[in-house]
Amino acid sequence: MKTVQMKKAFKKAVASLLALCSLSTAVLTAYASEPYDSYSYDFWNDPIPAQAAYKVNDTYTGNNLNRTRLTDPEDELFISTTTKTSLAGAKDIYFEETLEEFWVADTQNSRILRLDKDLSLIGCYTGVDKSDSGNTSFNNPNGVFVVVEENGDVMMYVGDTENSRILKCKVTGGLTCENMLEIGMPESAIYTSKSKTFLPEKMLVDGAGNIYAVCTSLNAGSAQFNAAGEFQGFYGANRVEVTGEIIRRHIWRLFASDEQLKSMQSAAPTEYKNFDIDDEGFIYTCTEAANTTTDAVKKLNAAGYNIWNNDAGNEYVFGDIVTGGTWDASTNTTYSTRLTDLDIDEYGFINILDYATGRVFVYDEFCSLVTIFGTKSSTSDQKGSFNGPNAVESAFGNIYIVDGIKNDITVYSTTLYGSYLKQAVLLYDDGRYVDAEPYWQEVLNRNGTCSFALLGLGKAALNKGDYKLAMEYFEDCYAQTSYDRAFKYYREQWLQDNFVFVFLAIVLLFVLGITYSILKKKGIIKKRERKVKKKAPERKKTKKELEHEAELAAQAEAEAKAQAEAEAQAEAQAEAQAQPEEKSEEKEEE
Amino acid sequence: MYEFTPMGWLKHCIFHPIEGFEDLRWKKQGSMKIALWIVFFLFVAMVANRQLVGFQFNQAYTKVFNVVPLLVQSVVYFFTWVIANWSVCTLLDGEGRLKQICINSAYSLVPYIVSVFLTVFLSNFMVLDEIIWLSAISYLGLGWSVILMFQAMKAVHQYSVLKTIASIVLTLAAMLIILFLMILLLSLFQQVYVFFYSIYTEVSYRIRG
Repeated sequence: MKTVQMKKAFKKAVASLLALCSLSTAVLTAYASEPYDSYSYDFWNDPIPAQAAYKVNDTYTGNNLNRTRLTDPEDELFISTTTKTSLAGAKDIYFEETLEEFWVADTQNSRILRLDKDLSLIGCYTGVDKSDSGNTSFNNPNGVFVVVEENGDVMMYVGDTENSRILKCKVTGGLTCENMLEIGMPESAIYTSKSKTFLPEKMLVDGAGNIYAVCTSLNAGSAQFNAAGEFQGFYGANRVEVTGEIIRRHIWRLFASDEQLKSMQSAAPTEYKNFDIDDEGFIYTCTEAANTTTDAVKKLNAAGYNIWNNDAGNEYVFGDIVTGGTWDASTNTTYSTRLTDLDIDEYGFINILDYATGRVFVYDEFCSLVTIFGTKSSTSDQKGSFNGPNAVESAFGNIYIVDGIKNDITVYSTTLYGSYLKQAVLLYDDGRYVDAEPYWQEVLNRNGTCSFALLGLGKAALNKGDYKLAMEYFEDCYAQTSYDRAFKYYREQWLQDNFVFVFLAIVLLFVLGITYSILKKKGIIKKRERKVKKKAPERKKTKKELEHEAELAAQAEAEAKAQAEAEAQAEAQAEAQAQPEEKSEEKEEE
Repeated sequence: MYEFTPMGWLKHCIFHPIEGFEDLRWKKQGSMKIALWIVFFLFVAMVANRQLVGFQFNQAYTKVFNVVPLLVQSVVYFFTWVIANWSVCTLLDGEGRLKQICINSAYSLVPYIVSVFLTVFLSNFMVLDEIIWLSAISYLGLGWSVILMFQAMKAVHQYSVLKTIASIVLTLAAMLIILFLMILLLSLFQQVYVFFYSIYTEVSYRIRG
């Protein structure tokens, strides 16, 4: 009977071992399919490996974008047989939600591409129909923004960088568009005092039709125009990052003469590189300058005030959490974070693209890190790694990245893990902690160290009133303030449940104390006498003293011996003296 | 007049900050054994403060527990203090002997150690809103210990108030110097070790090759 059981147990053990082996290989293959390591940061800002929330779906270059339509004389989109079909240094991508179309600024080809939701070419614009200056074609357009007006007109805003103008044009066909508004360099002194050039790069249009343009080397913020194209001012400038150099200069300035002051460099803030607008009309900006900590990513309200203001006591962190740069062992290089583009998706997730590392950082609407993926490594020829990631856009739960050096568009789709994670985060951010619980459980099943999931489960347990369990979850993800709240309720509950015992214990102690003092007063219990060591501890005798004592003892002994000998001798003498007398007496008797 | 057990003397010193250490001196009391136990408990208090404090109050990096910094912060700092104080005060006509300095310094640490244990214990029953009680206890313990330390140094060397302050400042400077020299010595010995080790590797390569 026993042996059969043992055999069964042995079989089970072998089977589970084999299962484990096959599982581990399966995990390894899954791991190898992504060219990057997904990770997240924990409470101590240590990077913790995580499952990939996004996987590479496909990479689109000239051919599978159907861009051969441009060179096919039979096609309605035919331009010429020599037109370049591949992308060249594309700088921007924009997804228009009502048309479900992508618009790509194909910068070095000086054209705007219009792609449908499968990234298939449906339009190509190399210029406008007419222009006041006579220059109708685009020249290195860096940014594109599209608005579908209420009457159905498709309005395309192009940051025509090298031509120093912003163009608003109505799309009239697959290859043609009509010039509606042309904005050149503002003549206002407010603008010219800040910049001598007008090189609009990224474009944005808010709900009121105001046009915003990020311009090259303009650090006063983006140039803002009203719907009629009149210059309104600057919007949302960054502040100066306080570094050691800035402080040194500030102190030096206190002592400098006027002439010295004139020759001194003034502290200028770094300009932000890119922006995006969400459904509520908030404008988000990101700053590309390496390792920026001040105003790296901002959420601006209509007045240009940064809602994510760390000076107001917040602790928003974006990009890799390192000082000085990230060391990449696979390429032996040190990267400095350079946040080049950001995108707010339809659910409020913020995708931020780091040009230096090729990583996309996904945050929820409260700036909690959700996941990190993507890479820019020596394996950039592989699908899913980049060489010059320029722009990020999201649609249909996918993330689209435009690479300006590899000249392609990479599409990332959400993994099962990622979809659970995003669903859970959305419910969590709505405050529906209990509804989010099953999703968090799924997330945790796939990634046991996901601290966001532990936090979510803890909050769900707290809402359900299971304080002990909530405390355990919070302790695991090191959420101290949440733990504190759970502990507070737990303590309250414990006191309520055990009130009788606590009360009785206090009464008992009180009664005992009173009886003790009464008994002591009546003298029934005597006061405990203190043991006092009156005698000084006996000193250890030194060797010399011991020798001396021994000597003395020996001497005394010798003396006593000598005395005893002397006595014995005297006795013997006396005896000897007495004997002859006796003898003589005897002799006399004889 | 004053006749206590060794523990009684400790209590007398703690609760009589003005004349306690003077009495200790004139009665030639104070136990080295108790002093060493106090230093040990200082170390234990440091460890407890890091490991056993209530989760919501724990500010330490709990992923790794390294006992060496705690050992340095308690035991090494204490003996550096004793030696530095002895070296400085010998030159400044202090009357204290090394053993007396050690005993008096250790005795005056007791309120601090007690306050640490108390806050660690209470922090397991308190929430963040009640942190004021914990900080009150720890500040009380620390302040008490500082006063006792001052009185202890004053009594053991028979100094005036100003001279005591000066001697304490000088002691702190001397501690810095001692620690600096210790680190220097360590790194020098490490260099020497590396030198001999590289000779060894070089020779062993020659022999093999």
